[in-house]
Amino acid sequence: MTFLAFLFILISLVTFVAAQLILKRAMEFSATHGMRNSYFTSRVAIGVVLMTVSFFLTLGLLQRFDLSYLYPFQGLSVIFITVLAAVVLKEKLSVRLTIGALLITAGIVLVSMS
Amino acid sequence: MRGFDRALEKRMQNRPPGFGNPWLQLGVSVVCVLASELLLKRGASEVAAPDDALSWTGINGLASPLVWWAILLIIASFITWLYVLRYIPLSLAYPLSRVVDILVPLGCWIFLGELISTLRWCGIALVIFGLALVAQPIAKMEERL
Repeated sequence: MTFLAFLFILISLVTFVAAQLILKRAMEFSATHGMRNSYFTSRVAIGVVLMTVSFFLTLGLLQRFDLSYLYPFQGLSVIFITVLAAVVLKEKLSVRLTIGALLITAGIVLVSMS
Repeated sequence: MRGFDRALEKRMQNRPPGFGNPWLQLGVSVVCVLASELLLKRGASEVAAPDDALSWTGINGLASPLVWWAILLIIASFITWLYVLRYIPLSLAYPLSRVVDILVPLGCWIFLGELISTLRWCGIALVIFGLALVAQPIAKMEERL
C-alpha cells in the first residue's frame, strides 16, 4: 500500500467517525427541540458533507483494491466511535460493551489482514 | 451497566411499534449498506481508471449506473440510521451495525467470487463473538419489555 492510499484511507475514516458523532448529537437534540431549528439542520448538513467526503474517497479506493480487503479498515471505526461516544457524547460504557467492541475491531482488522 | 440499561429501557418503552421499531430499522440500514457496498465495488470496477489521477477522488465512478443504485441505497440507509440514532446510543448501535463487516466478505465470496482465507474466517468468528457480547443485554432487555 502506498503512502497516498494510507492517507486517503485515514481521511476517509476520520471524516466518517466525526460525521457519526455530529449526527448523533443532532438526533439527540431533535428529540427534545424538534427538527425545525438551525442547530439541527446545520449539524445534519455538516454530517452529510463529512459522510460525502468519506464516500467519494472510498469510491476512489475501491477502484484500486478488493472490497473485502479495503472495507474492513472501517472496522477500526468501531472502537473509535465507541470510545468517542463515551468521551464526547457522555454515553455510558459497560465492560461487556467495551470488550465486545474490541473483539469486533480485532475481528475486522484480522479480516483485513488476511 | 445498570444505569445504561435503565436509560435505554426507558427510551425503548416509548418506541414506535411495528416497522418503526428502532432495532428493525437498524436491520434495514444494515441490509441497505450491504447491498450498496456490493453494487459500489461492481460499479467502481466497471469504470476503473487507475492511471487517471482524478480517479482517486472517486468522481469517475458516477459514470456507472450501479454506483447510482448504490447511492440510492446509501441515502435509504442514512435515513434509517438517523432514525436509529434517535433511540439507540451510538456506542451500542454502531458496533451492532458492524454485522455488515461479516456480511460484506460473505457477500463478496458468494456474489463477487472473492476468496475467504482461514485467517479471514477467524476474523469473522471474532466479530460474531463480539456482536454476541454486545447484543446479549439487549436481548434480555427486550424480553423484559
